[in-house]
Amino acid sequence: MSNIIIILLGTSMLYVFAASRIEAYVKILALQGTLLFLLVVVDIKEINWLNIAFLIVETLIIKTIVIPYFLLKVIRKNEIGREIEPYISQFYSVLIASAIFMFGFVAAFWAAKTNAGIKPLYFGISIVLIVASLFLIVNRKRIITHILCYMMLENGIFLLSLSVANEMPMLVNIGVLLDLFVGIFLFVIFFNKIQEMYDGNHIDVLTELKD
Amino acid sequence: MISIVLFIPVLFGVISLIVKNKIVNRIALLGTAIVYILITIAQWLNIQWYILPNWLISYFQFDSIGIFFFSVMTIVFASVSVYSLFYFKAHNLNAKQESIYTIEILLFVTAMTGVILSTHLALLWVFVEATTLTSAILIYFEKKKSSLEAAWKYVFICSIGIALAFVGIILLSIGSRSINSLYFNDLYNRAAEINPFWLKVSFAFIFVGLGTKIGIAPIHAWLPDAHSEAPSPVSALLSGTLLNSALLGLIRVQEILIHAHLESFSNFLFLLTGFLSIMVSAVFMLRLKNYKRMLAYSSIENMGIIFIGISLGKFGVFAVMLHILAHSLSKASLFLTSGNILHLYKSKKIDDVNGLLKKDPRTGWLWIASTLAIIGMPPFPVFLSKFLIVKALWLSGLSWLAIPFFIFLIIITFGMGGTVFKMAFGEVSPEQPEDQRLGFSAYAPQLVLLFILLIIGINMPQQMFTLLNNAAGFFH
Repeated sequence: MSNIIIILLGTSMLYVFAASRIEAYVKILALQGTLLFLLVVVDIKEINWLNIAFLIVETLIIKTIVIPYFLLKVIRKNEIGREIEPYISQFYSVLIASAIFMFGFVAAFWAAKTNAGIKPLYFGISIVLIVASLFLIVNRKRIITHILCYMMLENGIFLLSLSVANEMPMLVNIGVLLDLFVGIFLFVIFFNKIQEMYDGNHIDVLTELKD
Repeated sequence: MISIVLFIPVLFGVISLIVKNKIVNRIALLGTAIVYILITIAQWLNIQWYILPNWLISYFQFDSIGIFFFSVMTIVFASVSVYSLFYFKAHNLNAKQESIYTIEILLFVTAMTGVILSTHLALLWVFVEATTLTSAILIYFEKKKSSLEAAWKYVFICSIGIALAFVGIILLSIGSRSINSLYFNDLYNRAAEINPFWLKVSFAFIFVGLGTKIGIAPIHAWLPDAHSEAPSPVSALLSGTLLNSALLGLIRVQEILIHAHLESFSNFLFLLTGFLSIMVSAVFMLRLKNYKRMLAYSSIENMGIIFIGISLGKFGVFAVMLHILAHSLSKASLFLTSGNILHLYKSKKIDDVNGLLKKDPRTGWLWIASTLAIIGMPPFPVFLSKFLIVKALWLSGLSWLAIPFFIFLIIITFGMGGTVFKMAFGEVSPEQPEDQRLGFSAYAPQLVLLFILLIIGINMPQQMFTLLNNAAGFFH
């Protein structure tokens, strides 16, 4: 069961490479949140209800509902439709995505062989999520896409932390979540300001500062 | 003690958020600075008392290197908070703007204190990310187009970097399954049990992540922008304390590798990026048009020197500590003085600034003296620390590296010195008034900083020597 969910997570990332409507990205983000929530539910082995409650709040409420809804509102308010032509064209991006996937599966096979005690598929796909979202951030031009891909990067990191059985103390978990939340909030504030001050909301307009 | 350090700034911040009164803001800033100074002195005299709740006590602790970094931060923060009075007056801020500034500075300082005191690797990460978030708003404080760009680059690049550092932390916890704890003490004591492969991989990630915050080349892109666009007291705080606190995180992680006897791997990374940073800084130093960017590149250079020092292991650690102290104080003094210049000439361009010594002799002399301090003229302590680092290069059998080291330093000294003297001397354009006075709080902080530097350089007090030595003793 958990393997299917993880494969779906990976596929959602592939869809981002092919899609160009910004609203589709937000839907993918919400989908990823839901999948992570399901993964947490399927995978539950522990008795500590505080940790379970925290994980459910983090995945279901923050990652699935609050942040995607917040970003969707921003996108609708600013009437952003599509991604503009990226630096590397869509076709080659999809090729690169397949290469990233291949790398992820190699990592998964490799992780299965080592005795590090990690769950192989979790590990492989989380690497796919992390590398793919980093690639998207570098390749895409719209600032809102950068924010969305940053969230996907965080989802990848979350999946990676699920692949390890070790637990962080509650204080750290709360701190990480708070940082993420405030970070997104701040990104959106700056995004809105850039929208006001510059004509256009892609990174090519940010050219005031250079040596 | 620790609870005071962490909660007093937050408390003052909340008060100034509620009241939004000019006098309250000043009391909050200066009050926190005074509390910090008192606690630093108490730490020096080894007075300890704990009133933390039990579940928090294991997360925060003053250790030898923590006390040192905390002292540096306190000195810089205190001078910045005094200078802020001038900044408030010079920019005619209203009570609300002052409150935002005060709250952000206080939260920023709290986050940095958290980094310094954390005994848990992941908690340290949380606070490093918090420093990014709290200082981003300060960089955008003047609400200009360029400062918005700088703030965006800063917050996004650093967040991505810090996210990679978190990947590193997770990989470390894969490698240290048998330990099942990310407390630094557990990691140090049982470093031999950590899988060397995972430790190396995780160090590479954490190095990139925290290196981004430290502003080491080639991941320094945000640093010149953020330092030049932030209000001058904030630039002083960024350069003098923020870089240090991220550096402390990296030093603590490096210590795990030392305990696991893998330091040859990390030392190579430190040495390589250290030299790359001085090189980048030397290349840009000659063609800069903005004097605040010049200071920012100088920060990259000094972080590079510190990295080289760290890579030399136990030969370099005392020099590293001395250099951290000396760099923070001189750079804070330079950035604060650059605030005076910006106020006098209303321009950050080097070409617009002429005859500073005629326009305001006090600012002019502070500018020259601080520059002498940062480029390492004796009797300022940067001279001593650079000298000790070169000596450490010799002791560790890397004496040939001293040649590029000197070449880059000479280029940087030439570039910086030339620019600063060009700005200080010459004639003031006729329509501009001469001999302006800016007020007490525009000069006093830099004077105090330079005075402390001179004392350290000429005759280091025993207390200071012990402090540095204890901090250097953190390395094994």
